[in-house]
Amino acid sequence: MIADTWLPVAVVLSSLVPGLFIFFLAESRVRLRTTLNLAGAFVKLALIGVMLWGVLREHAYVFTHTVLPGVELVFKADALAMLFVTLSAALWLFTTVYAIGYLEGAPNRSRFFGFFSLCVTATVGVAMAGNLFTFFVFYELLTLATYPLVVHRGTEKALRAGHIYLAYTLGGGALLLISTVWLYGLAGQVDFAPGGTLSALPPAMAGQLQIIFLLLIAGVGVKAALVPLHGWLPLAMVAPAPVSALLHAVAVVKAGAFGIVRIVYEVYGIEFAQSLALLLPLAIVASITIIWGSLRALFQDDLKKRLAYSTVSQVSYIVLGVALFGPVGTIGGIVHLVHQGIMKITLFFCAGNYAETLGIHKVSEMDGVGRRMPWTTLAFTIGAFGMIGVPPLAGFISKWYLGLGALEAGMPWVLAVLAVSSLLNAAYFLPILHRAWFRAPPATWPDEHIPARRGWETVPLLLLPPLATAAVSLLAGLFAASAFSPLDWATLIADREYLQWTP
Amino acid sequence: MDALIVASLALPLLLALLVAQPRSRAVALSLAPWAPLPALALALAAREPLGLDLPDVLTGLQLGVDDSGRVFLLFTSLIWLAAGGFARGWFADDPRRARFMVFFLLTQAGNLGACLALDAAGFYAFYALMSFAAYGLVAHDGDTAARRAGRVYLVLAVAGEMLILSGLLLALGLAPDHPWAVACLVLGFGVKVGLPLLHVSLPLAYAAAPIPAAAVLAGAMIKAGVLGWLRFLPLGAAALPDSGQLLMATGALMIVGGSVIGLAQRQPGAILAYSSVAQMGHFALGVGAGLTAPALWPPIAAALVVYAAHHALAKAALFLGVGVVARHGASRAHLAGLTLPALALAGAPFTSGMLAKLGLKSALAGLPAPWADALPLLLVAGALGSALLMARLLVQARETPVVGDAPTALWAPWLLALAGVAGLTAGLAPFASWSATLQPGALLAALWPVFAALALTLAALKLRLGAPRIPAGDLLVPIERLLAAIVRLHPPRAARAARVAGTRDPSPAAPGIAPARVALRRCAVVGAARGFRVPADILRP
Repeated sequence: MIADTWLPVAVVLSSLVPGLFIFFLAESRVRLRTTLNLAGAFVKLALIGVMLWGVLREHAYVFTHTVLPGVELVFKADALAMLFVTLSAALWLFTTVYAIGYLEGAPNRSRFFGFFSLCVTATVGVAMAGNLFTFFVFYELLTLATYPLVVHRGTEKALRAGHIYLAYTLGGGALLLISTVWLYGLAGQVDFAPGGTLSALPPAMAGQLQIIFLLLIAGVGVKAALVPLHGWLPLAMVAPAPVSALLHAVAVVKAGAFGIVRIVYEVYGIEFAQSLALLLPLAIVASITIIWGSLRALFQDDLKKRLAYSTVSQVSYIVLGVALFGPVGTIGGIVHLVHQGIMKITLFFCAGNYAETLGIHKVSEMDGVGRRMPWTTLAFTIGAFGMIGVPPLAGFISKWYLGLGALEAGMPWVLAVLAVSSLLNAAYFLPILHRAWFRAPPATWPDEHIPARRGWETVPLLLLPPLATAAVSLLAGLFAASAFSPLDWATLIADREYLQWTP
Repeated sequence: MDALIVASLALPLLLALLVAQPRSRAVALSLAPWAPLPALALALAAREPLGLDLPDVLTGLQLGVDDSGRVFLLFTSLIWLAAGGFARGWFADDPRRARFMVFFLLTQAGNLGACLALDAAGFYAFYALMSFAAYGLVAHDGDTAARRAGRVYLVLAVAGEMLILSGLLLALGLAPDHPWAVACLVLGFGVKVGLPLLHVSLPLAYAAAPIPAAAVLAGAMIKAGVLGWLRFLPLGAAALPDSGQLLMATGALMIVGGSVIGLAQRQPGAILAYSSVAQMGHFALGVGAGLTAPALWPPIAAALVVYAAHHALAKAALFLGVGVVARHGASRAHLAGLTLPALALAGAPFTSGMLAKLGLKSALAGLPAPWADALPLLLVAGALGSALLMARLLVQARETPVVGDAPTALWAPWLLALAGVAGLTAGLAPFASWSATLQPGALLAALWPVFAALALTLAALKLRLGAPRIPAGDLLVPIERLLAAIVRLHPPRAARAARVAGTRDPSPAAPGIAPARVALRRCAVVGAARGFRVPADILRP
């Protein structure tokens, strides 16, 4: 069927086309721009809905285009791709709504929304890439599409952060390119396939494969902000709040983590990676990142910076889950890909609301903010408790499966990492909540420019997205065991990744 | 019945939501005291074990009422009902009562849910809701003491949550009797139960929390920790003599230490808190015995469940009574109302305390040496200690001048709690072997600690002997001093640390995030001096 071939492409195009149009729109065409943005987002979601239904019934959606002999551009909608695509498309919709409210009246909106759409296009491309080459192409496109968003404000600080961001990510891209070429040289075209394809190579190549793994992980590890490659992330939070939200929840950081998932499961294969002794070092790097990120977050007074270090830590939960050999750990890691996204986007939306409404940028300015902005603070509270891993929120489910997965994999020390990390999460989130709910508010806020009106504590477009994502992170945890929950989908993926697994 | 199970949890949550909403606040506040009624009805109506599976919720939620769960649900809902009614009278003119009630109802939902949840993740979820929401109860008053109590409570509660989660995962992933799983669960729930060193938040919290909150903390919530032990430790299934004996020894320490330190307290809340530590020592003793000798577990379990109901109701009634006396003075009726649960705690004849203690004694009778010989002594020491603590509480209460009559909103809920204490004795009567109870030897054994305590107290009063003073929280104080000393090593750093952590007053450092952060920063400074690369923002607040 022709639709089976073109559906993946249509999903990519559904944000690319509106994005290209928006570049050429005059600043004043607000309504048309909003229509294009939202139409793209809804069309994408509808297409994804169709494909989700198909993938569930093991239907294959594949698009192939030969660039050079032996180098193909492949889009493929498998279970893993659909997880990430659905997450990006849903959060793109929320973020677009939020960004419309956030940037109301700001300059250069056409440029912003144009690159914004490009960024999502690249993310969707990363998600649906069917081989390592396609992955690389969109991974680099993502770098180029996000740079203008990071430096959007054009201040000196933003430009400096942008430079550092480029230096890190292009360096990572170079590593990824080298290792991809090397791997193509060894194995020909490297398609993503459940269980991986490299185990068929002769055992003599094991040493080379280990080195390539290191390079690949270092390449994507830059975006996934693995310590010590994380330096760019806290700086990049100078970007406007919707960008930070997208960067931390779906786009850049997640693309890196998703790359690690693909490399371990669908290039090497989890069982082959285990036999090459690659998983334990990965688990150790992830654990160090988890603890280090949380430790650094403790020391940040800037709210967005604290959240950024929290991202460093939380994204490595995904990597940790990937490195735990066994389906339960896999489920924990993959489901956290979704859970971290919805919780972290909530927190960044809220941080943006505090900044836009009251001019609050620092934790130390948040005294009593719960009384002025109860709904935003409620959403923030849900996000924060989710990050700590308190049930029934989404983060708890991740932690539960990661913990059980660690025991299944014979790595009980991971439980200590999880516990210490949760303690640290509590140590940097609970004081914020104490300030917001229990302290007396100051006489005046730092820079209040959206007054409370008719029962709305801020602009509805700013308030509704965080409330929606907070509700989703509650529902994703509360109804984790129901059909079509992120957990259910992650279980489906894990079922398809383990070929010879006998517990 | 399924609807009743759902309503038991949904009603407090719904009311919390409605109290939080300004529009529905007035109506919801008037309904809030009745929130535990469905749970109470469920506990009374559930004659046989019930179950309700919600496979879509969390990792597959199982709610239900089993034999021990039913007793816990019964006294828990009764205490919440009494405390809820009391809160309405207590906060009649407190502008922040809406905030208090939101946390009160959330904590209540968590506590009732913990009684009803039969699966590990579900129990943990409700337990966590209870623990975190209770911060709002402990810290409600907002003064220095309440903030300190809240901070200490929260640090210990979070640590407990992590231990419980690790313990549950270890029990599910490895084996329920894996030594690490047992250790994590014993210590994690031990934060609520008040195991030594983990007990330091109890005296602070009970003294700082408003009376209705203290009643549920000391009566109902502390028992959720015991229920956690009963539900998730491999009791009766595996023999772990080392851990078991260690826990028994810990229990002995709690019984003796709680009484001794309690006698050196001034605030009624702190006296009652140390009395709780001593009483909870009996649970550590029983659970430790169950781990040591699995064959003895069934009778011990039954005895502990009775003991839990007895202590919960008596302690809640005592706290409510302390509240009435604090507001309206020690009238004769008020003193009589305090004396009944006090006698029960001391194990006087014909009280629930005597039945509970006798039950525990006979259940533990089969223990091997040296416990077989030590036990009677220990239980007598516990009874004497309780009696002395209660005497001290009553002596103090007697001095409060009478101020008007207590309003119905205060005495009626108190009366309900007292009726619970009396009702428990009556309810147990058919099951207790009265012939054993009524033997002169048993009566004498139950009576003499009460008289001995009375005599000692009167002698102390006559001789004007003052008890030495130990600050509430005992070992917490040197720990706080140590942390403060670390901060003070660098005076400018102390001020900065205070700014970072948001404590406006740098001197009284409490265990919490600020000093830990300062300690970390000190390590970084030392590291930097030795030539290590240390990120600048750790050095620079």
